[in-house]
Amino acid sequence: MTLEMIQASQVGLKAVGAGLAVGLAGVGTGVAEGGIGSAAVGAVAENKDFFGLALLFTVIPETIVIFGLVVALLLLF
Amino acid sequence: MLKARPMSRLFIAASKEQLEPVIHELYRHNLFHIDEFVDQTKEGYEGFRIGMPLAEASQASSDLLKIRSIASTYMVNTDSLEPGEKLKSHDLRVLIDRDLPVIEKETESLTTVRSALDNEEKEYEQKIELLRPFASIPVDMDLLRGYQTLSVYAGYVSKDVDLDIPNERYYSPSKSSNFIVLIVPAEQRAIAERALSDAMFQMIQIPEESGPAAKAIENYEAHARKLKDELTIILGKVEESRKKHSDFLLACDELLTSDVEKAEAPLRFATTDQAFVAEGFVPTCEVNNLIDAINKTTGGKCYAAELPVDPEHDKVPVEYNNPSFCDPTELIIDTYARPNYSEIDPTLVVAFVFPIFFGLMLGDVGYGLILLILSLVLRRFFKEGDGARLVKTLTIFSISAIVFGLLYSEFIGFKLFWEPLIFSRHMNIGGEGGGGAAIPELLVTSIWIGVLYITLGRIFSMINHARNDHGSHRTKLVLGNLGWLLVMWGLLIAIWAYFSMPLMLDLTKMTPIVAGINPGAITGILMIVVGVIFIARENVLDVFELPTIISHTLSFTRLVAVGLSSVAIAMVVNYIAIGLIIKPQMEHLTAVGVIIVVAGVLIFIVGHLGNAALGLIDGALQSLRLNYVEFFTKFYKGGGRKYNPFGMIRKFTED
Repeated sequence: MTLEMIQASQVGLKAVGAGLAVGLAGVGTGVAEGGIGSAAVGAVAENKDFFGLALLFTVIPETIVIFGLVVALLLLF
Repeated sequence: MLKARPMSRLFIAASKEQLEPVIHELYRHNLFHIDEFVDQTKEGYEGFRIGMPLAEASQASSDLLKIRSIASTYMVNTDSLEPGEKLKSHDLRVLIDRDLPVIEKETESLTTVRSALDNEEKEYEQKIELLRPFASIPVDMDLLRGYQTLSVYAGYVSKDVDLDIPNERYYSPSKSSNFIVLIVPAEQRAIAERALSDAMFQMIQIPEESGPAAKAIENYEAHARKLKDELTIILGKVEESRKKHSDFLLACDELLTSDVEKAEAPLRFATTDQAFVAEGFVPTCEVNNLIDAINKTTGGKCYAAELPVDPEHDKVPVEYNNPSFCDPTELIIDTYARPNYSEIDPTLVVAFVFPIFFGLMLGDVGYGLILLILSLVLRRFFKEGDGARLVKTLTIFSISAIVFGLLYSEFIGFKLFWEPLIFSRHMNIGGEGGGGAAIPELLVTSIWIGVLYITLGRIFSMINHARNDHGSHRTKLVLGNLGWLLVMWGLLIAIWAYFSMPLMLDLTKMTPIVAGINPGAITGILMIVVGVIFIARENVLDVFELPTIISHTLSFTRLVAVGLSSVAIAMVVNYIAIGLIIKPQMEHLTAVGVIIVVAGVLIFIVGHLGNAALGLIDGALQSLRLNYVEFFTKFYKGGGRKYNPFGMIRKFTED
């Protein structure tokens, strides 16, 4: 294995890491938002006034995927 | 600004004779938010009852019902018509007595004729539908029924039926279903039925018609056409009446609605046999004018006085008090909750920050222009109400995106003619994009925005508690909020002492004084310790919430992350469409090449439109979330009552 090959595979692994960071964080957010989202839609269907609060609760786990995205950006650039 | 419109409590008491003039005066001014009298055991109100509606209530209600029914027949509503010249309410009352019965009669006769024609047409259509399968059978319809020795079957089968017994059979196959008419001797029907059931027979009714089916269909179709023509004439008449009466109907609706509201107002007042009492809220700047007006109308026979407001116990209605450009933002605040009367109203802050956050994320001249065009088109469809306010928000968003696009030097992912004026977001994709994006600088900037915005939220919270709470409780709450600020800034200073970062203070060069710790770190740690003590004094359980300081601040990095992902998609679309498809083809253009180039252009357009839509949804939602979750949770309670004055803004009538 030459030095160039090692360097190239390092770049590749960085990309894989970035992909995993966004992908896994996205799955986590999806799982969390799924439960909250369905409850939120139910609440809004009962009473439209809950829309603001429902939106707030639904987007709370969104931070996780943003962290994933930030980590990926830091890895890549 | 930053506070709800100041309200005063108005108390009105008078004898019952003054009830009507007072109600009329209050309604005309459209200022008095009635505090409904519901609690008959309330202190000072013993012996009071809820009032009875005025005498004209039932007549006005029944007239209003008639008007609304006619209006719904003509599908007239306030949105469908631009208000023209206002009608005098006195003239209108004369017109209602004179014209309303005539219009009612006219409408009734038109609707009766219309529904009769509708029904008749439907009947013909039904008959045609029943006859349609028999159109291909070359036998008169009257020959298919009325036998004693023969059995006739008509219906759909999956395949043709072959019988050993004497029979007459008409079979017409088609793609979707095969139609069969089978006539057999009555005594051998069992055999025929068995064969038919093998062929999955579905019987249909034989219509009672005479002559060939095709001819009967033709006949009915001619009738139906004639009816349709008549119906068109009637619909034309309906449209004519609609045009003629819609102004009148809307004006009547408005006048009678106001009559009914006025007549039913006593239901919200406290009354005795001889007197009534009304309490409510009026904007402070208007209260004296209103009292003067009431005294003038009643000739001084009414007691109207301003009472002190107690924001803690009175449910004071809240009316926004912001510059007019904040109007669209008020909708966004209302979606979360209307502010309390005594707390800070964040509308003005959000009105600036919300579009700036959006611009920071989308920041592209091209996408900004697409959204601007979209908002200008939507403006034609939404002229008033919440829709129009959302469109205004979109316009502000698009302008913000264009301004930040100019600063970032971005046009649908391409660089403009100058270097980025703030930080570059041009990533190196497909070997293009120059020096790459300034990721660390962008991230640090977003953290700074987060720290400052959260600090502002905490300061608002301190002001709210200082204003509205009392005694040692107030001190604890204010210090608790100060504690959160101390921990956040202490953490930041401690980080500065150990790590050198762009756009942040660098305290790493300070000389250590104790155990290798420099003064910066010591200050930071002290701030954290004091902060935690303040937080714990307010509520020990809040200490477990300390990690939210980090997560809420880091949450602001979405301003960069979401923006960069939007830039990345734009650059990838450009690279695929131009770099991989169009450019190589243009070098040696062939006939097939032209098609590939067209496909490349399509990818370019669809990709960028999709990215613009994503940018709009994501940018707006994330920006909203930063306000709702990271900013509002620091200080905002909400739950105020909407100020809903007794009265109406008249569009079609005047006194």
